[in-house]
Amino acid sequence: MSEADLPRAPSRFVALLGTRSFVVGVLLSAVFLVGGLISLVWTPYDVTVLAIADRLRPPSPSHWFGTDQFGRDVLSMVMVGARTSIAVGLIAVGIGVALGVPLGLAAAALRGGFLDDVIMRTNDLIFAFPSLVIAILITAVFGPGAVNAIIAIGIFNIPVFARLARGAALSLWTRDFLLAARVAGKGPARISVEHILPNIANLLIVQATIQFSLGILAEAALSYVGLGAQPPVPSWGRMLAESQTLIGLAPHVALFPGFAIVLTVLGLNLTGDGLRDALDPKLRRGRT
Amino acid sequence: MLRYAIGRLVTLAVSLLVASLVIFGVLQIVPGDPASYMLGMNAAEDTVAALREELGLTGSAPARYLDWVAGMLRGDFGISYTYRTPVSELVAERLWVSLPLTIYALILSTTIALFAGVLAASRQGSAADLGVMGVTQLGISVPNFWFAMLLVLVFAVSLRWFSAGGFAGWEAGPFAALKSLTLPAIALALPQASILARIVRSSLLDSLQEDFMRTARAKGLSRRQALWRHALPNAMIPVLTIVGLQFSFLIAGAVIIENVFFLPGLGRLIFQAITQRDLIVVESVVMLLVFAVIVVTFLVDLAYAWVDPRLRRRT
Amino acid sequence: MTLLSVEDLTLSINGSPILNGISFDLQAGNVLGVIGESGSGKSMTAYSVMHLLPGGSELNGSIRLKGHDLTRLDEAALCGVRGAQIGMVFQEPMTALNPVRTIGDQVAETVEVHGRGTRREALQVARRTLDRVGLPADRFPLDRYPHELSGGQRQRVVIAMAIALQPAVLIADEPTTALDVTTQAQILDLLRGLVDADGMGLLMISHDLGVVAGMADRLAIMRRGDIVEAGPADEIFEAPAHAYTRALIEASGHHPPRGPDRTREVPLLEVRDVVRTYRTPRPTFLAPPGHFRAVDGVSFSVRRGENVGLVGESGCGKSTLTRAILGLDPIQGGEIRVAGNVVDADRRMARADRRRMQVVFQDPYGSFNPRHRVERLVAEPFHLLDEPLSAGERRRRVGAALDRVGLSAADADRYIHEFSGGQRQRIAIARALIIEPDLILLDEAVSALDVSIRAQILDLLADLSRRLNLSYLFISHDLSVVRAVTDRVLIMRAGRIVEEGATETVFRNPQHAYTRQLIASSPDIDSALAQRKIS
Repeated sequence: MSEADLPRAPSRFVALLGTRSFVVGVLLSAVFLVGGLISLVWTPYDVTVLAIADRLRPPSPSHWFGTDQFGRDVLSMVMVGARTSIAVGLIAVGIGVALGVPLGLAAAALRGGFLDDVIMRTNDLIFAFPSLVIAILITAVFGPGAVNAIIAIGIFNIPVFARLARGAALSLWTRDFLLAARVAGKGPARISVEHILPNIANLLIVQATIQFSLGILAEAALSYVGLGAQPPVPSWGRMLAESQTLIGLAPHVALFPGFAIVLTVLGLNLTGDGLRDALDPKLRRGRT
Repeated sequence: MLRYAIGRLVTLAVSLLVASLVIFGVLQIVPGDPASYMLGMNAAEDTVAALREELGLTGSAPARYLDWVAGMLRGDFGISYTYRTPVSELVAERLWVSLPLTIYALILSTTIALFAGVLAASRQGSAADLGVMGVTQLGISVPNFWFAMLLVLVFAVSLRWFSAGGFAGWEAGPFAALKSLTLPAIALALPQASILARIVRSSLLDSLQEDFMRTARAKGLSRRQALWRHALPNAMIPVLTIVGLQFSFLIAGAVIIENVFFLPGLGRLIFQAITQRDLIVVESVVMLLVFAVIVVTFLVDLAYAWVDPRLRRRT
Repeated sequence: MTLLSVEDLTLSINGSPILNGISFDLQAGNVLGVIGESGSGKSMTAYSVMHLLPGGSELNGSIRLKGHDLTRLDEAALCGVRGAQIGMVFQEPMTALNPVRTIGDQVAETVEVHGRGTRREALQVARRTLDRVGLPADRFPLDRYPHELSGGQRQRVVIAMAIALQPAVLIADEPTTALDVTTQAQILDLLRGLVDADGMGLLMISHDLGVVAGMADRLAIMRRGDIVEAGPADEIFEAPAHAYTRALIEASGHHPPRGPDRTREVPLLEVRDVVRTYRTPRPTFLAPPGHFRAVDGVSFSVRRGENVGLVGESGCGKSTLTRAILGLDPIQGGEIRVAGNVVDADRRMARADRRRMQVVFQDPYGSFNPRHRVERLVAEPFHLLDEPLSAGERRRRVGAALDRVGLSAADADRYIHEFSGGQRQRIAIARALIIEPDLILLDEAVSALDVSIRAQILDLLADLSRRLNLSYLFISHDLSVVRAVTDRVLIMRAGRIVEEGATETVFRNPQHAYTRQLIASSPDIDSALAQRKIS
């Protein structure tokens, strides 16, 4: 299979590198990904040690991003916070893909049937609950925390991927090559895996980068209102919440975590745009 | 058309029913007893029992569910555990902040998005197009609450044009009230406007590629006339869906933005209720938010049929 | 009077040449047929006259409308010409109309946009014009929407928009290609009638010589951006000067050589009283859903080695029947047997029975998974074997099948996008042949191909049938093709078979009124020329 794809792979890869938004996007998001990874073994300062004497220092050579109200190094906090954001975003996308795609493919394979109806109605229902409201419900029951934030965001991702997979699969099911596969005696499950999945993979990858960036935004919002990661786990959203009252006094404490969120999300969005342009010319939205 | 409307209405009713069951069901799982929680560890058995009675916590789950739903239909949402006042009063008071804020933001975001999206699509590839695409790319990447903090920093702390938070109240006159909602509405609207503007643009570009645009041009319409008369009405069909969805994002966003600006809206109410384990308030507010989203979805579906004649015949 | 005079027109799009200096004249009250296969530049000629060209186009030469050179006009002046002095009709009536606006509104817009009257007057013109094109007020009020109309009716609306201001020139770009033959005949009649009544000049663009044979006064034959031959239609049909014109005329009436009849009296496929129904939406909210009988009691059989044609217009149920025969959809009544065994979509059919039937579809682009190589595509029916083949054997057989359809074994390593439409149809045939079926269903298998390619594929099919003693069920809307390649023909209409018999007998002496109507509407060079001689 991988061997069969080889001759086309270089041209696609070259197409990707030719897309400026993809290159910029990957570089941007890589900065924070690498920052998060490095923080596992090393940070400029220990984020668990408080140094009240050094509180609210502006950016300087010793503290590039300054210090917060407890004297902790903001750069180190941002690095550690990247871990939380990326982990929450990734796992939430994983939940959405792992559950949503099979459901969508099944709904399309059984189009018009009872299961299709149930799956799509349930999807509509989940869409009626804004993701934050799901999070509020879950938190009200199980208490706040990063895991519950992941579940809330992940649940919201399921219908996103289910709808996408179903819609794309439905249009493929009308194509003659699927009819040819049925004439060759193949069943719906086999056709879904062998013919449909590879043809909708591009769409799914693009959507996954978008949901990843939305997940990071959602995690930040949940942590900001205190429903996400709890102390002592550092998180960008909570750093912003804690800095809010100090914004007139020491803006840098609020600015750097905010920049981190914006640049990571921007990087992922650009990556998604670049992927879409390079992988699927039909989806290209009139870029010149 | 009538058949279509009835079909949508049935969907609306079923969605509401299932949503209420889900919300009620989830909150049944909550461990602990609100009555003993509210009265503290040392409360006497009979005091707790009396409070349970007062709060309507006795009886089987189906009976309590029916009580809850019947109450809501009458406008009675029960009594708050912490405030000891009817939830409906609490909610009504807060709704006067949250609802105007959401609508204010929706109007802002739709207006900006339509203007920017049409501008970008009609001059595809121009500086205006690139500008709109660049700004909106940034706009969809900014968390609204952080954007709100920046607005406070610039317009309240530095320039002192607006106050940093709080709500003037409708008693202070509509102008003062709207003024205190302006920064929150902008913070809510701009990220959503960025998403919507991109959708308006791409949907309009799709419409411009349609065969009927060629027909229109062959009739002698100029590029501009064809865009306004033929492409735009068709481009609005997918845009409507997103406007409907955005309402739910704006409601959720409002819940968060209220915290930045210390606005006494539903958002503040629900977060206080969660920390105080005032579950009846959580239950009612969540139901109300979901109700609003479902009703807006219903209205969008009706608007669809108005925009797209092909739907009027189908269910 | 010369209405339109095109001289030395060249067009390139993003640097690649499309038209290489073409010239023609169009007279008032005349029909000029512009004929060419795909890629000949015939449609781009039309869009050049309209000045509706894609970005990156460079146009040179002159286009004179009643003496005024259109290439010198600015965009605003061109808007005044389009719709008022030159009207245009397009190929795809299903998408040519704006779905969210009424037909009256869209026809009236032609009048309004040129400032030829108030809204009320424009609507009156729209009403009159719709009446003229055969959409009377009682059945087609102005407030109808396009989706409530059939393809032929929509094309009439498009024509009404084009002629509302009685332009001097009407351009029709393949106006009937997307329509059924009987509808096609009506639209062609309508266009000819409008030309005669208004004294318009009609520039009729088509890939099908048969379509223009009956109505064109002059012809221009195009090939790769050049006009290779032009002149009065009678002379060209009588004595084509250019080799390409001769080839085109030969290909459109192509009869592949047939061997001696080797049909055996053994039935291979038996279809008995087959019924296929669909549920339709409930008429009212509480009423039970209705049923639509797409296939309504159809019976026929195909013998071993026999080529049978199944002819019908769109919506007659022939595709539904095809799917039922292949065992893809369940049937609600009757029975289908292949080699004596029941075909059943619900229970799993025996692989040995499924192996007896394969299919070739119409669309050479949609028939293949774009992500697989040809070897994997052609080998797909091996799934029906009881024992999987070794890789070497698989490869050998794929190579042999490709060889058989006129490709080479080396093509197995290529991807489908590297092949042309005709080559793809050959690959589709190779895929059908690979497990040595007894019967191949050809579902409009040559309808999407240019005439010259079509002739080659028909020759290939005839040759394979002779050599391998294959049976074909040839499903098509195109009577001339069916007549050329089948032994027996079935005429299907509204879910039923209305006539059946030996192909030549049916064509020479049709019994059913519908068959007669079909044959009369079917574009055919010979009969059109015979007609011209009489009149």
